[in-house]
Amino acid sequence: MADDNTPTDCSLLVVVVDTNPNQRYIIEDPKVLTNCLDAVIAFSNSHLMQKAKNQLAVIGCHFHKSEYLYPSPGKPLDVRQIDGQYELFTLVEKTIKMRLVNLIKSQPQEDKPGESLLAGALAMALCYISRVRRQLSPGLTMSSRILIVTGSSDTAAQYINYMNVFFTAQKQQVLIDVCSLDKHLSLLQQGCDITGGLYLKVPSLEGLLQYLLWVFLPEASERSKLVLPGGGRVDYRAACFCHREPLSIGYVCSLCLSVAVVTRSHEESTRDHGYCFVAETSSTVFKIGGPLATKPKKKKMKI
Amino acid sequence: MSESSKSKGSVNLNPSPTLQCKDLHEYLKSRSAQFLETLYNYPTICLAVYRELPELARHFVIRLLFVEQPVPQAVVASWVSQAHAKEQLKAAEALSELSVWQEAPIPGGLPGWLLAHSFKRNLKVALLGGGRPWSMSSSLEPDGKARDVAFLDAYALERWECVLHYMVGSAQTEGISADAVRILLHAGLMTRDADDGSAVITRAGFQFLLLSTAKQVWLFLQHYLHTAEKRSLSAAECLAFLYQLSFSTLGKDYSTEGMSNNMLVFLQHLREFGLVYQRKRKAGRFFPTRLALNIACVRSDNETLEPADAGAAPRGYILVETNYRVYAYTQTSLQAALLGLFAELVYRFPNVVVGVLTRESVRQALRGGITAAQIIRYLEQHAHPQMLKADSGGIRSESVLPPTVVDQVKLWESERNRFTYTEGVVYNQFLSQADFVALRDYARAQKVLTWQSERARTMVVTRAGHDDVRRYWKRYSKSS
Repeated sequence: MADDNTPTDCSLLVVVVDTNPNQRYIIEDPKVLTNCLDAVIAFSNSHLMQKAKNQLAVIGCHFHKSEYLYPSPGKPLDVRQIDGQYELFTLVEKTIKMRLVNLIKSQPQEDKPGESLLAGALAMALCYISRVRRQLSPGLTMSSRILIVTGSSDTAAQYINYMNVFFTAQKQQVLIDVCSLDKHLSLLQQGCDITGGLYLKVPSLEGLLQYLLWVFLPEASERSKLVLPGGGRVDYRAACFCHREPLSIGYVCSLCLSVAVVTRSHEESTRDHGYCFVAETSSTVFKIGGPLATKPKKKKMKI
Repeated sequence: MSESSKSKGSVNLNPSPTLQCKDLHEYLKSRSAQFLETLYNYPTICLAVYRELPELARHFVIRLLFVEQPVPQAVVASWVSQAHAKEQLKAAEALSELSVWQEAPIPGGLPGWLLAHSFKRNLKVALLGGGRPWSMSSSLEPDGKARDVAFLDAYALERWECVLHYMVGSAQTEGISADAVRILLHAGLMTRDADDGSAVITRAGFQFLLLSTAKQVWLFLQHYLHTAEKRSLSAAECLAFLYQLSFSTLGKDYSTEGMSNNMLVFLQHLREFGLVYQRKRKAGRFFPTRLALNIACVRSDNETLEPADAGAAPRGYILVETNYRVYAYTQTSLQAALLGLFAELVYRFPNVVVGVLTRESVRQALRGGITAAQIIRYLEQHAHPQMLKADSGGIRSESVLPPTVVDQVKLWESERNRFTYTEGVVYNQFLSQADFVALRDYARAQKVLTWQSERARTMVVTRAGHDDVRRYWKRYSKSS
């Protein structure tokens, strides 16, 4: 959490845009995506407009992969002004649009769209931030934050990945803001709360730009001075590790702290399977002392 | 009793006025409303002005940018939390000063704010596109002899040093035109010598030399714009072009096509100072250099070391040790002379100058109107890369210089400023001690008493408290 409220010399904003085609608002009217994208681009440019040294990155998050939309790796596009727009802003707009087209074209046609890889995109954003921080010249201070713009629904399938990202962000003093276009996202709201960012569910998509500029444009140091929405109660329910659903009461493994909804105890299930639920994610074989483990079963699992 | 109002020089608190370097905000504030109105017809200026605004003011502008009707002032005030009401007022004041917004009544009689029409339109153009392209952006076929960034940096530095060298009266006087000399004279940085009419540097000129390069350029251009009006160049047009340059990309070429004659003249002047590079007068294309790009980032105080371009910018050459020794790895006499302004030079070698900061040498500089802050800034700005790397033994200090040196230079300055000036009103010639004591005690209770002497029956009251005390005195003398 950003405790110090001193203004910094520059600020880095990473926008994660969810472009997954199975978001509800896109299914209803694909043209809305263009409007939302325009709003996001205008918002990104407004961020660059705040200070000369401000930096920007935009990451597109799809169901098969996430990719940097801006800045483009390699040589930047050669743009010439066509109208009165500031050259840099034209570059941002052109690059984002061009790379997004590439991203959407590259999606596998045969697969049914799955859920967006938001946690992965967030991890990419954190990597980008730490890289920029390392390259920062001595004497400059930089504040960084991530904004997620998504209309996907909240699934706990990536629960562990989310939590890892959130706590890393907290440690790195990176704010995570979430702008939800469609449904209430309790998991991401937790992330905002953990990192000290803001969570906003936009009531209507028409005024998206105005909401973005109002709530998410001010820097962390400035936010304390403004009256901004947010607060409210955060749903802090954990998701169980077996069915990936939020639950109020569950079982917690005493060793690895994994949460399970199953009616039988963790020890029992461990006994049955010979490993813990988290074994899936951490690939550690859970060793149980005592006479319970039967050798033949264990062998079976190992194979 | 008589009261003699003696204003103790509040106007000139600083005995030797230092060189004023206004930033864009202050510069624009000093200009007329009509001038601002013409300026806001250029998207670039709107962009630059927007960046110069205080944080909260920027927030107001961006929220009002897409609103067409006036917004009640109370609503704008409610955007900021109560605890920061003072800052809100300051931001609102800044916006009014620059006529970015105007008061406009809204139906129902409440006062409202409305962004200036041209400012709003052109900021939108800069942000979202539309409108006419900037004058210099017409497309060009690729240049066979494109120049890289390093070349441009070297060129800009060489040109600018030419001006500085001329100022310190180095033998090298070629490459500086009569125009530049006129600007230096106009700015009071140089003056005509009484005897032979040659230009010599003034006290302000020395302070000018200690400024950072970006500030030097900006100050110089401000004076250029002042004189520009006399030469039938429109200051608004010039300023707009300058900011176009500052928002362009380094290492890219731009076309001179479609530029008016006046602007072409202006371009030639900029070329002379190294703000743009042109191969030939009629080349049809030019490259902006780092000097031009920096114009937009001149801020009055919170300017950092500009390390963003440390890689390409001229490298620092000064090492400062905790024992007040200063080593400058330089070969030019200009830099040695500058160092000599505030340090006692001890040795001079072909590639290094060694000096010591002593109380005497620093005080001499201070007497010349140079401030401690300027000395420290100069040393910081030209700090050797080795200084930037060195860690200060776990102490996180603001400056790259040894803290002892920074503190001591500041102390040497403050020991010269032992007077604090307060404006006040003298009350004396009281007829009785009782009168004096009554009035003194009253003033003391009101916390407006600055000084008093019982024996002389004299007291000094601050200007703000004068009316109150006088009223009390009238009441008091009537009743007794």
